[in-house]
Amino acid sequence: MVAQIHCPMLSEDPSVTGVISTWFAQDQQRVTEGQVIAEIAIDKVTMDIPAPISGVIHILVPEEAVITSTQLIAEIKD
Amino acid sequence: MSKEESGRRISTARAVAEGIATEMRLSDDVFVMGEDVGVYGGIFGSTTGLFDEFGAERIIDTPISETGFIGAGIGAATEGMRPVVELMFADFFGVAMDQIYNHMAKIHYESGGNVKVPMVLMMATGGGYSDGAQHSQNLWATFAHMPGLKVVVPSNPYDAKGMMISAIRDDSPVIFMFHKGIMGLAWMKKNPRSIGVVPEEAYTVPIGKAHVAHEGKDVTVISLSLSLQHCLDVAEKLEGKVSVEVIDLRSLVPLDREAILASVRKTGRLVIVDEDYKSFGLSGEIVATITDVDPSLLKVPVQRVCYPDVPIPYARVLEYEALPTPDKIEAAIMAALK
Amino acid sequence: MIDDQMRLKFYKEMVRIRTYEEAIRREYHADKTPAWDIGAGLIPGEMHLAAGQEPVAVGLAANLRKEDAITGPHRPHHLALAKGVDMNKMTAEIYGRTTGFGKGKGGHMHLFDPENHFSCSGIIAEGMPVAVGQALAFSRRGTDNVAVGVAGEGAVNQGGFHEAVSLAANWNLPVIFIIEDNEWAISVPKSASTSVKDNSLRAAGYGIAGEHVKDNDVEAVYEATKRAVDRARKGGGPTLIEIQTVRLWGHFEGDAQAYRGEELKEAEANDPIPAYENKLRSAGVIDDAAIAEIKATASEEVEAAIAFAKQSPEPKPSDVYLHVFA
Repeated sequence: MVAQIHCPMLSEDPSVTGVISTWFAQDQQRVTEGQVIAEIAIDKVTMDIPAPISGVIHILVPEEAVITSTQLIAEIKD
Repeated sequence: MSKEESGRRISTARAVAEGIATEMRLSDDVFVMGEDVGVYGGIFGSTTGLFDEFGAERIIDTPISETGFIGAGIGAATEGMRPVVELMFADFFGVAMDQIYNHMAKIHYESGGNVKVPMVLMMATGGGYSDGAQHSQNLWATFAHMPGLKVVVPSNPYDAKGMMISAIRDDSPVIFMFHKGIMGLAWMKKNPRSIGVVPEEAYTVPIGKAHVAHEGKDVTVISLSLSLQHCLDVAEKLEGKVSVEVIDLRSLVPLDREAILASVRKTGRLVIVDEDYKSFGLSGEIVATITDVDPSLLKVPVQRVCYPDVPIPYARVLEYEALPTPDKIEAAIMAALK
Repeated sequence: MIDDQMRLKFYKEMVRIRTYEEAIRREYHADKTPAWDIGAGLIPGEMHLAAGQEPVAVGLAANLRKEDAITGPHRPHHLALAKGVDMNKMTAEIYGRTTGFGKGKGGHMHLFDPENHFSCSGIIAEGMPVAVGQALAFSRRGTDNVAVGVAGEGAVNQGGFHEAVSLAANWNLPVIFIIEDNEWAISVPKSASTSVKDNSLRAAGYGIAGEHVKDNDVEAVYEATKRAVDRARKGGGPTLIEIQTVRLWGHFEGDAQAYRGEELKEAEANDPIPAYENKLRSAGVIDDAAIAEIKATASEEVEAAIAFAKQSPEPKPSDVYLHVFA
């Protein structure tokens, strides 16, 4: 199965953007469910993004990229 | 710690916090005190997640009373506890230095070994982001100069967790110094080496042992902290042209003099990269380590790429003129090869 | 006696300071996107802005001469501007330019204007002993100038604070210790750090006069500091004044302030400038047209200072080696 990782809802305001400040996981790496795979910064508040399932991660958006709420940023294939 | 290693990767800040959490789970005697270490998680992230796990009872926000709470840590340690105390910036040592160098460092000795001070004093160091003269210093040589204190300076997440665990388990007082630039913070530009593979279980990295971070035979580069990350970047860049051996000191006290000598015996050429002030400090001590034993080991004069003997300026163009940046490291390597 | 002319002056000065802090805030963040990097931009490093604390600076400075000294903390802009430092040179220093007070070496936390006897320090409470020293110099020279040391409520728990007050009391020096109680030492509230609710009570412990000023009221600040300044000038020694104020923004720019919770909204509702504006409007001291003019004038001055700073030259790299010694 494939799990899609979306940027969480940053705000009710759809124009609010975030930045992927850190990818802890590396592209093509195997990750475990619950492992913190990324850190997103929204106006200085940071959010941890955990892996929803175990599998191989494909990173779709690079570090320091600006992202919007619900944007697809990675996929995990088990 | 190769880049290709698989495994869970975290930032140095989280690695420090995880090291502390590991030991706190094992013993109630371990607790944390400092400014903004609670809900805030430490200004530079060193206690991230600890308040959620252990609560206000064991992760204690202090008033701005460094002499008070560092002294309190010392006293608690003499009564068998194992406090981890945070000094927010190394630069703030001035307000509490008597507790550090006349008490923390000396009680064990003065008592003929009868009283132990098993305390960790951790602190953020370093510049490169325009925080000015009072908030950008490294000062590890200042602490290393005073007998009775162990001084550790990790350069990466793996060592940070392992050395924090070692520091907490150590019965001697340990100064644990983390450069802000290696913490992997979301709000400060980071070198990729600030994020690395860190085992989830407990493990130790020995205090007093340097690490050959990059093997080579043409020139020895000795460094620590954020500068070590820069040295590795330069060594990788020069792959194929110059064979650079990079030694990560990891600890200043005890200093792994054997590791220094072993590498210089091999290469005969030495570059020291140290973001602390140049004179009367670490780089001179490394040179003396060699000349005390055998000056002829050195084929050429030592290159010292250190922060010059000036207070740290605010303006970026001035600060970066002085910082031991990768281009200066590379130039020093090339100069050492002549 | 505070008359309408003084009230108008208080309002103008507070607006001037707020306009400045808002503009610096705008400039500071403007070039730190998209990934926020503290070291990036034309104003890099830390930034501690004083929005909400204007009444302290304005009420205090109205009692001071050019020759009187203020030593401020890491959050100094309101004090510097109220003291009368040159806004262009101050702004140029914040931008790290050679035309700044410190030729780009000090930055926003280390502003030094000897002409107006203004300085500050980034180490909590450590400006207090320096203020005592300035008072010592004034006293030894036989002038009736006074020195003022300003720090936050968090600083009162620092050893240097106690030694400074203790010494000044012992030597009966012409110094005023101002505690800006904005209730927060970064994320630690006063209730968690300080054993007394009102730090001015500590004055009794040193045998000096103490006063507490409530509600961030510029006129009350003026009156309390007037008593302290007069006392000092007449050889009556030090005073410790704690002033209840408010920190409307973060400890530093970039501080998400998650730790403040609902209290932040309450704080914002207590913004002293709209409150004073309403008071003066009701009293007929100002009207909408005057307010608009005051704001426009402030804005013009501030934007000109920013332009001056941006057009000023950056230091030469080799300047880093200058000024280590005299």
